[in-house]
Amino acid sequence: MEALYTVTREIRVLAEMADRDLASSGKTPEKLKGAGSFLMKVFGALAGKGPKRVGALYVTCQLFKVYFKLGTVHLCRSVIRSIETARIFDFEEFPTRDKVTYMYYTGRLEVLNENFIAADQKLMYALLHCNRRYEANIRMILKYLIPVKLSIGILPKMWLIEKCNLIEYADVIKALIRGDVRLLRRALQEHEDQFLRSGVYLVLEKLELQVYQRLVKKIYIIQKQKDASKAHQIKLEQIVKALRWLEVDMDADEVECMMSILIYKNLMKGYFAHKNKVVVLSKQDPFPKLKGKPVNP
Amino acid sequence: MEKIESSSRKDLLGFQRTTRTPCPSSSSPNNSRSRSQTEQGAGTSADPISDVPNFLGTCPDMCPAKERAQRERLRDLSVFERLNGNPGKTSPSLAVKKFCRTISTNQVHASDLRPPSVLQNTLKYLLNLVESSDHPFEAVHDFIFDRTRSIRQDLSMQNIVDNRAIYMYEQMIEFHILSHQKLSRCGSKTDISSLYHLNMEQLMKCLLSLLDVYSINRISNFISKKEAEFHSFYVLLHLGCKIPTMGNSLSVWFRQLPFPVLHSKEMQFCRTILRYFRMGDYKRFFSTTASEATHLQLCLLEPLLNEVRAQAISYINYSGYKLHPYPLLHLSNILMIEERELELLCYECGLKIVTDEAGCKLLPAKQVFSLPKSGFQSCGLRKIEKSQRL
Repeated sequence: MEALYTVTREIRVLAEMADRDLASSGKTPEKLKGAGSFLMKVFGALAGKGPKRVGALYVTCQLFKVYFKLGTVHLCRSVIRSIETARIFDFEEFPTRDKVTYMYYTGRLEVLNENFIAADQKLMYALLHCNRRYEANIRMILKYLIPVKLSIGILPKMWLIEKCNLIEYADVIKALIRGDVRLLRRALQEHEDQFLRSGVYLVLEKLELQVYQRLVKKIYIIQKQKDASKAHQIKLEQIVKALRWLEVDMDADEVECMMSILIYKNLMKGYFAHKNKVVVLSKQDPFPKLKGKPVNP
Repeated sequence: MEKIESSSRKDLLGFQRTTRTPCPSSSSPNNSRSRSQTEQGAGTSADPISDVPNFLGTCPDMCPAKERAQRERLRDLSVFERLNGNPGKTSPSLAVKKFCRTISTNQVHASDLRPPSVLQNTLKYLLNLVESSDHPFEAVHDFIFDRTRSIRQDLSMQNIVDNRAIYMYEQMIEFHILSHQKLSRCGSKTDISSLYHLNMEQLMKCLLSLLDVYSINRISNFISKKEAEFHSFYVLLHLGCKIPTMGNSLSVWFRQLPFPVLHSKEMQFCRTILRYFRMGDYKRFFSTTASEATHLQLCLLEPLLNEVRAQAISYINYSGYKLHPYPLLHLSNILMIEERELELLCYECGLKIVTDEAGCKLLPAKQVFSLPKSGFQSCGLRKIEKSQRL
């Protein structure tokens, strides 16, 4: 079995190297694609009733690495279906190391499809079962788990960000805490290359709604301190001013639009009165927490 | 019908004559280019190991003579191919090669394939037909849809990936985008609806081919305006997610995008509009589209606009104050649509419009909203008149 592991891994690694050479000399890089086809055959051979089937998950993970590298991640689907539906496979039979890798990659797929609940489960499994000594692997898992947690309303502690050297997320989290739309845009712009390459950029962009929610909540808290009896009525002009202070130029129509979205998606409870240019907040829990659930579509 | 003269078959000035063939075994003597005119000789010279044949087509006409004769015999001629309206007679200047579903490289002879210069002339002829024909658009579209697909087939089988291919792909994509707009305006008739979806499918396939060819030809970090715009179409086609053929998400696609494309004006517009669309930010979606979209981007977006408008209406219906109905004129300015068209859209969503004492139309909130069952009628952007600007 050890020989199988070595051969399947080396085939992938060599194919990646060969493709780099082919690309740099102006030829079509196609060895990795061929390696993928070969690994599919190996997977098929292992998927029997014999004792060798415990090696199938390792081969699956090598396939994942190939498909993620090639950008053909939709090809992962058929392999996952085999692992998760075939009666010959019992997930608990597989080695822990392979299960962690499998959960990491399938968790990443759920992030790409913006299935945050499933992504959270899979990536948390990978994190909890990952060997503590492999710090690089933990960092890789957190790189995807953090955007997932943020999307379901859970903010990680700043010490975790610093400890695991995930500094690119620091300003995103600050923007969420402060309700600072400008800071969010700047953070995404500054680390754009990293976020695009890891595939979480579009996920992080969607956090903007939560940032707006936080901003309105802060205005609400300030108003409540001034006059508790009128706190639940916020003039659109007040929000326009707050945004201008953040160097975000939005007019009353744009702010009204944003308020209607926040209310519709249940990030805010209440209604807006177009005639009076006012948002009237519910007196009961005007800013519901996400509590581990994603924002409504 | 007046006979159309064959246009010049010379290569257009300035276009490269070379064909790039990135076959890994290109130095092998088995892949030497065959000049033989005999069908059998050219056919057998194809390398059985490689999936990519390395020969150039020799057919001098828009349609191979053999196919013309066969289709005359079978009376399988489009109305655009009939000589003097005769369903059993065509000519080299009228017949255009059909797309063939079952063809494989082993069955192809050089005389079956049209070389680049003939393909260019064929495409020119077809696109001219869009402008000149007095047949209904759906009939013209159907014909050109099939025949441009055949052109792409010939390009693919000869592995033509140079500037001529780029230019042809761009023109065919433009045809599909303009069709996209026209077909969406035809309403929700069943037959038009299927044409619309088939057109979008081919548009995506053609675009993917073009993006591959761009990638092959990219020498430096320079990106032309056209290349940036055509990359942006890929993003716009993902708005609404109506294309079932898409296996990968946009996040995967953005990973491999070259920096100059990513930061081009055309792509930045698309990324901004994508963000507004995903957030539901209808106000900035319309204002940004109106001020920044290119003509083709606008054509591509048009079928989507009423979907965004309907979403805006549902937000306002849900979030608005019951005792203060929303002024319809104000909303029509935001959504860049004529007030009467907006009223119609509200009715289609199951919402009633009331009129106040002053004669102004109002949209009451908290009604029961429902999406139109027959889909959205397409309606473009209305330019705001200065006198109406708030």
